[in-house]
Amino acid sequence: MKYAFFPGCSMESTAEDFKMSTLAVAKALGIALEEIPDWTCCGSTPAHATDALLAASLPARNLAIAKSMGADVVTCCAACYSRLAAANLVIKEDVGLRADVADAIGSDYGGEVRVRHFLQVLSEDLRASEIKDALVRGLDGLRVACYYGCLLTRPKELSILEDPEDPQLMEGLLAAAGAAPIEWPFKTECCGASFSITRTETVKRLSGEILKMAKDSGAECIAVACPLCQTNLDLRQSDIENATGEKIGLPVFYFTQLLGRAMGISDRELGIDRLMTDPAKVLARLDR
Amino acid sequence: MICRIDPTLLAKLDPEGKLNLAACLQCGRCSSGCTMRTETDILPHQMNRMVMLGLTDRLLENNAIWTCASCHTCVSRCPMNVDTPALIDKLRAMAQAGTETGHYGRGGPPSPPADVKRIRVFNEVMLGNMRRFGRIYEFGMMGIYKLRSRDFFSDLMKFPRMLRKGKMKLRPPMAKGRGAAAKIFDRTRGRGTPRRDENAPHSQGRSSR
Repeated sequence: MKYAFFPGCSMESTAEDFKMSTLAVAKALGIALEEIPDWTCCGSTPAHATDALLAASLPARNLAIAKSMGADVVTCCAACYSRLAAANLVIKEDVGLRADVADAIGSDYGGEVRVRHFLQVLSEDLRASEIKDALVRGLDGLRVACYYGCLLTRPKELSILEDPEDPQLMEGLLAAAGAAPIEWPFKTECCGASFSITRTETVKRLSGEILKMAKDSGAECIAVACPLCQTNLDLRQSDIENATGEKIGLPVFYFTQLLGRAMGISDRELGIDRLMTDPAKVLARLDR
Repeated sequence: MICRIDPTLLAKLDPEGKLNLAACLQCGRCSSGCTMRTETDILPHQMNRMVMLGLTDRLLENNAIWTCASCHTCVSRCPMNVDTPALIDKLRAMAQAGTETGHYGRGGPPSPPADVKRIRVFNEVMLGNMRRFGRIYEFGMMGIYKLRSRDFFSDLMKFPRMLRKGKMKLRPPMAKGRGAAAKIFDRTRGRGTPRRDENAPHSQGRSSR
């Protein structure tokens, strides 16, 4: 199985551990992720908040390159997924916009390359037995709260999930690896996303509510599939604890880090040492 | 308070009726689930009605269009599929293009509150960073943002630990596609929606940026 891989900017910096763990898991499963050569930023929030043509053109450049690779595009970043898939939708729908985008990127692109999130590849393109065969140890009933956030969930047209109010995609994958995902009500709440820098108090409030709900629902840790969700829940966790005076102490793993562990990949290769909230207690229990 | 009405606002924002604004039932389901409901000046269902009424000034001078987290909860729960997030993006583009500020006369619109200013500055800095490097250079972006927003000290203590953990890189990314990204910025400038009216007041100064 070959895919055109779009890592996205976060995977090169704050979420390098997401990239490391994704590549390690893909390798263990025999999935070839071939990086799109010379990819550029998807435009993220500021592009769609500023100019519709810019917001369609920045992803279209990358998708046009992927088209020549003849493979589906796969990304791990929820925001990149959303921006690339949204560009496909508007370019398909609007002939005028398609022409303007062609002018901007210097080639005609019609929205035909499929854009997938890595979660979809694991759950749709692989047989359950293929994942089972790669597992070498279980996750020992790990009580994990799977958190999806916004961009994999909404809007409907772009959602990778069957039920945007109660998704089960990550739960299914992690349960197959021996974890015991908990049921909790805040799976698709918003963490505050791109307000992390500009309205930090907002993010502390929203992410704080999510962390507290996960903890109160009996979680030992959280699993995420988005670099920004991870940053808000993990990097801001100590700020939230300081503000409320309440210890939370929930490690926030990328789902690929947990899967990778179940596949016997080393913590170092999975970038687990890069987490801000110390996962030692959870890991020690798993290693026992 | 004098409140001017622009009867063409709806047609400017949604000429083909794709956003379904006229279908809004005012049921408030969007607003009750809004992530930012406790912090915004205008709730989603109110915003939709204000667009129908043509209250341009009130929409553009409030913080609501900037405090939206783009979480898409409103549209995904709407029984009539009213696309409020797309509407808000169009209002943001309108506010930044500066073509709809005529009502205020020569002084332009009142200056936005500090939290809104920070969001707009951040967007500008991030776009500038994208244009220059092709990919986001986070360390450089944070430096410029801090200088421009004058928010020097927040999160400063986090940087050493982030550097140590490899979560922040000192060196800029060296994407070969950086020139291609800059070209896209050049070619799309001023051609997005809504299309810029070069004769409108306040538009000349901005177009040279």
